[in-house]
Amino acid sequence: MEWLQKISITCFAASYLVVFGIELSRVFFQLDLRRYVRIGVTAAGLFAHTVFLAYHTQLSFDSQGIWLGSWFGWCLSGAWVLAAVYLWLSLRKPQSMIGMFLLPVMLLLIWFGHGFSDTAPFSPGRAKSVWNMIHGSSLLLATVVVALGFVFGIMYLIQSRRLKQKRSGSFRLPSLEWLNIWAERTLFASTVLLFGGFASGIALKMVQQSSSNPNGSIPWSDPVIWTSAVLFLWLLAATIVNAFYKPARRGRKIAYVVTISFLFLLLELIIVWQVGHATDQQTRSSLSAVSKFPAFFHRSKDNDHGGVL
Amino acid sequence: MNLQVIGCSHHQSSVSVREKLAFTEDQVRAFLNKYHQAFPKSEAVLLSTCNRTEFYAAGKSADGVPSSQQMIEFLANHRGLKTGEISNNLFAHQDRAAIAHLFSVAASLDSMVVGEAQILSQVKQAYQIAVDTGQQIPLTHQVFQTAMKVAKRVANETDIHTTRVSVPSVAVNVLTKQIFERLEDKRILILGAGKMAEETLTYIVALNGKDIVVTNRTRSRAEGLAEKFNGQIADWNDLDNQLIDADLIVSTTGATQPVVTHEQFKLVAQKRQQKTLLILDLAIPRDFDSKIGDYESVYLYTLDDLQKECEENRKSRQSQWPKAQKIVEQETANFFQDVHRRNSGSTIALLKKQANEVKNSELERLLGRLDRLTPEQESEIEQSFHRLVNKLLHPPLKSINADQSSEAGGLLDAMKRLFQLGD
Repeated sequence: MEWLQKISITCFAASYLVVFGIELSRVFFQLDLRRYVRIGVTAAGLFAHTVFLAYHTQLSFDSQGIWLGSWFGWCLSGAWVLAAVYLWLSLRKPQSMIGMFLLPVMLLLIWFGHGFSDTAPFSPGRAKSVWNMIHGSSLLLATVVVALGFVFGIMYLIQSRRLKQKRSGSFRLPSLEWLNIWAERTLFASTVLLFGGFASGIALKMVQQSSSNPNGSIPWSDPVIWTSAVLFLWLLAATIVNAFYKPARRGRKIAYVVTISFLFLLLELIIVWQVGHATDQQTRSSLSAVSKFPAFFHRSKDNDHGGVL
Repeated sequence: MNLQVIGCSHHQSSVSVREKLAFTEDQVRAFLNKYHQAFPKSEAVLLSTCNRTEFYAAGKSADGVPSSQQMIEFLANHRGLKTGEISNNLFAHQDRAAIAHLFSVAASLDSMVVGEAQILSQVKQAYQIAVDTGQQIPLTHQVFQTAMKVAKRVANETDIHTTRVSVPSVAVNVLTKQIFERLEDKRILILGAGKMAEETLTYIVALNGKDIVVTNRTRSRAEGLAEKFNGQIADWNDLDNQLIDADLIVSTTGATQPVVTHEQFKLVAQKRQQKTLLILDLAIPRDFDSKIGDYESVYLYTLDDLQKECEENRKSRQSQWPKAQKIVEQETANFFQDVHRRNSGSTIALLKKQANEVKNSELERLLGRLDRLTPEQESEIEQSFHRLVNKLLHPPLKSINADQSSEAGGLLDAMKRLFQLGD
């Protein structure tokens, strides 16, 4: 299966870039055939992306690790979910230019993941624990869902503004009602997923402590933990208000909430990355040394929080 | 024939101007009656729709028809406006241009949504009102009947009407879909029960709109419309409560003042709890105060706002445009040739009659002075006179016939003046 090795990030990233170009061209001219090309190229990119993830996951299993449990795998997996969602939306809503907003987020995740392609994965022992699996996958899905909510929120604000200004615009977006419903769903889903990630993180910490230091407590001062808690509380509050106070889920408010949630999440991810959360000491030092990002992206080597969440 | 038209339409006048010049059916009748008192020698038709108000005046001679400036003044005075307030927003066409304009309007080439069917019935209605005023309108009859024929020809010979898209259709199919995902679960409130409301409801029902409420000042008309579309009827006095529950409002009343004021809507907005509301105000004058559109969750669209979407529609039908335009041009030319032929026919008949009268009187006088003529000689003289007249008339008649294709009719007028022929 030598051909599997030949599939690189460039293969699917290039496909997604081409799809993004096709999406942009919809602003300028009409062409019926373009829809099929767009869906075909997306499907091809997604296939390459799937093969790439499957191959590297298999390789990491062979070497007693979980490749998905690294920044690289985590970002590419998130991008894969977004690509699958995009393909589904392209079939469901072929007239709407959702890709113009979704594809940049996806490509950014791939680029971000590529920056960590040479870093080591999380330590095998931790990565393979059940709590860690739940913790990692919940947070991964929560991130994807919040990113989707952000995309829907931005589209809602643009669509609402266009309709208010009586401008039809050169591209079509889904209806306000559809965007509102999906922004609401992503808010609810991200709250549940973040709760899953947060609770499993605490459980994981307690399991670890019971074996090493039975008298230890959860380090709430850890920036990763408290920022995660704040993000979760923000989402929980927004979901509760949204569920019980009608005006909150109408109009642009829900769009603002999901957009702020995404910015909050970005802040959270930066903190997680900066403090080297969930990576071993030696892994962390090697991570900053080999990261492909420009120097200003490199995190501080002094940080050594070693939290769980 | 002398034909003048002045008017305003969505092309050059804003809603605020069109509102000032909009007429209800009764107002058109009153206007025409007043016009006939002021200009008894001419004919008039007033076409007033949501997108245009056009005032046509026709007469056999130029002196009987008011000039375009007089027409503007008459219109302004009738509406209690200053001429300067509206004159910059009005167009004016004369004779050939006026005819071509009417043909384009009737064929829906000048409509906001090119190819819409509604305008032809509105043109017919305008003509019918003019007939109902009891005045003789032979000239405008000729023009309007031809306009209807042109509209049918354009419809039959081009694809411009194949996907009939009217303002209500664009409003429902384009706008509604940008705001609502589905209409099955939406409360649809219809204000007014006229043709526009009916047409809009047809498109709403086609999109599965089910929860329909119709309200109208005249309850019987609302009942008819509600029954046709399986809707409910709401009392006009219950309008505020209906506004609270509605998701989509289509307003098409003929009210001369806003039906829903900003003050009135303030209370409604509080109770709506920011539920999204799309208002399609298709009425002229507008039924909803424009400030209502400032509410965050309210999307208020007037006829003018729909113009952009209609422009898109116009572009997509651009390929059919030259063909339709050519038909209008052909028909305009045919119409003038026809008018000219008819006019020249009567002029020629008058000329021949006048020549024969002169010939007969001279012949009578001559035969009276000549005695003892044989019947053969008398016949010879008569034939000689007859040939003389025919030979004299042949060149001018030939020139008149040749002049028919030019549509100018200048020679005919010259002939009438030279030989002092009456109408």
